[in-house]
Amino acid sequence: MLACLCTVLWHLPAVPALNRTGDLGPGPSIQKTYDLTRYLEHQLRSLAGTYLNYLGPPFNEPDFNPPRLGAETLPRATVDLEVWRSLNDKLRLTQNYEAYSHLLCYLRGLNRQAATAELRRSLAHFCTSLQGLLGSIAGVMAALGYPLPQPLPGTEPAWTPGPAHSDFLQKMDDFWLLKELQTWLWRSAKDFNRLKKKMQPPAAAVTLHLGAHGF
Amino acid sequence: MQFARAAFSSRDTAVISPQDPTLLIGSSLQATCSVHGDPPGATAEGLYWTLNGRRLPPELSRVLNTSTLALALANLNGSRQQSGDNLVCHARDGSILAGSCLYVGLPPEKPFNISCWSKNMKDLTCRWTPGAHGETFLHTNYSLKYKLRWYGQDNTCEEYHTVGPHSCHIPKDLALFTPYEIWVEATNRLGSARSDVLTLDILDVVTTDPPPDVHVSRVGGLEDQLSVRWVSPPALKDFLFQAKYQIRYRVEDSVDWKVVDDVSNQTSCRLAGLKPGTVYFVQVRCNPFGIYGSKKAGIWSEWSHPTAASTPRSERPGPGGGACEPRGGEPSSGPVRRELKQFLGWLKKHAYCSNLSFRLYDQWRAWMQKSHKTRNQDEGILSSGRRGTARGKVLPDKL
Repeated sequence: MLACLCTVLWHLPAVPALNRTGDLGPGPSIQKTYDLTRYLEHQLRSLAGTYLNYLGPPFNEPDFNPPRLGAETLPRATVDLEVWRSLNDKLRLTQNYEAYSHLLCYLRGLNRQAATAELRRSLAHFCTSLQGLLGSIAGVMAALGYPLPQPLPGTEPAWTPGPAHSDFLQKMDDFWLLKELQTWLWRSAKDFNRLKKKMQPPAAAVTLHLGAHGF
Repeated sequence: MQFARAAFSSRDTAVISPQDPTLLIGSSLQATCSVHGDPPGATAEGLYWTLNGRRLPPELSRVLNTSTLALALANLNGSRQQSGDNLVCHARDGSILAGSCLYVGLPPEKPFNISCWSKNMKDLTCRWTPGAHGETFLHTNYSLKYKLRWYGQDNTCEEYHTVGPHSCHIPKDLALFTPYEIWVEATNRLGSARSDVLTLDILDVVTTDPPPDVHVSRVGGLEDQLSVRWVSPPALKDFLFQAKYQIRYRVEDSVDWKVVDDVSNQTSCRLAGLKPGTVYFVQVRCNPFGIYGSKKAGIWSEWSHPTAASTPRSERPGPGGGACEPRGGEPSSGPVRRELKQFLGWLKKHAYCSNLSFRLYDQWRAWMQKSHKTRNQDEGILSSGRRGTARGKVLPDKL
């Protein structure tokens, strides 16, 4: 069972809202966030390859599909297409923000003492980049005037001493963490691409009108 | 697949025993996969084992009872990866029921060959060699420990892998004038080992930065000399020591360095006997000899960044030397060379056998050197101010 102590993430300093009457608006930050998800996706590919080789076969085999046990607490990227399309901007952004907050927390908790120094460095580097993505999403939310999600009292992710976790179960958890991260980054690219298109300055009133109804 | 997923809730439906065992290479393992819970069709029949993704031969398995499948492995090899070999129990349809990580390896051997150096007496970096070349197949943790010889408690170094995989850096709080005892402890799941203790005094292992501001320049029009100047490393300027320097230089396309040794306490040197019209790369390094009155040499610094310079052009080749020229050295045969060069140039244009003339000239040179040597042996005279101390200088100083 994956559990995590992550209070620090929920207390990110509030990002001051950008001046919405400025020329640029939230467009550039959305673009930047999109670019970041692509960059992270690329980084993850190499990190995951190395990490799965470290876990050893069958974890690094292409069709590997173990049961999802403790991985139930991982935020799931997979979502029904219609549900995804109908998300409003605030919900879309909030889901992304919450997902990466949890994922970053779990990543940081990867207690891989035995991993090579190089692997630990790659993990740390990836965590830093992921923290950057979180900041970027926070920036977009602030620019659009949405509040950062705060945890409800009592639902803060806190560490609960679960049953003694065998090493093999831990390996399966690690596998699913990387898989879910991957899926989220794919999805986020589409999320931010969608937001980007919505925020584009009206090229033609007709087009925008259709867009507003058609999506 | 649906069946396998549905079978899982928060409790496993199968358990492998032993869970995550640690074993010595060559030992045997008896394992069991016990299926429990109530899913239909989940009996020991049809279950099978894989190890690191490879299905194990059925003759190694045995059904113990309706819910337990046993496995017997003998003469185990070292683990394929340090995270442990993956032993998995599968249902008939291939889905994973349970897993266990096997750690098969060797206890660590004694680390040895500890060597340490201190940069400007401010820190200490140590390197060691793991015993048995480090191949234990298990994650082995190395810990560098140190303590002051006659008092003080054990300290543990914390910054690892600074100069390679088996190294550690102690950045501060180092005492002088009392020896340190230093050793390395290696630990893994199968045991631990400790290196011999190295005793050292920080002052005996001091190194410093390479000399900054190395400049290489021509010496007037001299074709076979270059002047090297540098600055004494500033970090140690407040400590009493005599610096020793070494200079090395090579021709641009060569990999052979020539070294000038024993450059004591000076910050310039003249290289002589060089080839004219050639680009040379020059580096300097420093040894903080005799820090605080210690009679010992320190540790040589890294070489400075290569500095390049070229000697002025000439048609005459010159052999290399190995020491610094005396500062007041006169240019050797400057006007003579020039005239010779002109003559040879003219010969080349006007003579029918121009190639012959160069060969003849070389022969003549060699003859002159021989007769010059014999002359000196007879007379025992070194003409003052004209002769360089460089080895291998073949040009006579007088025609």
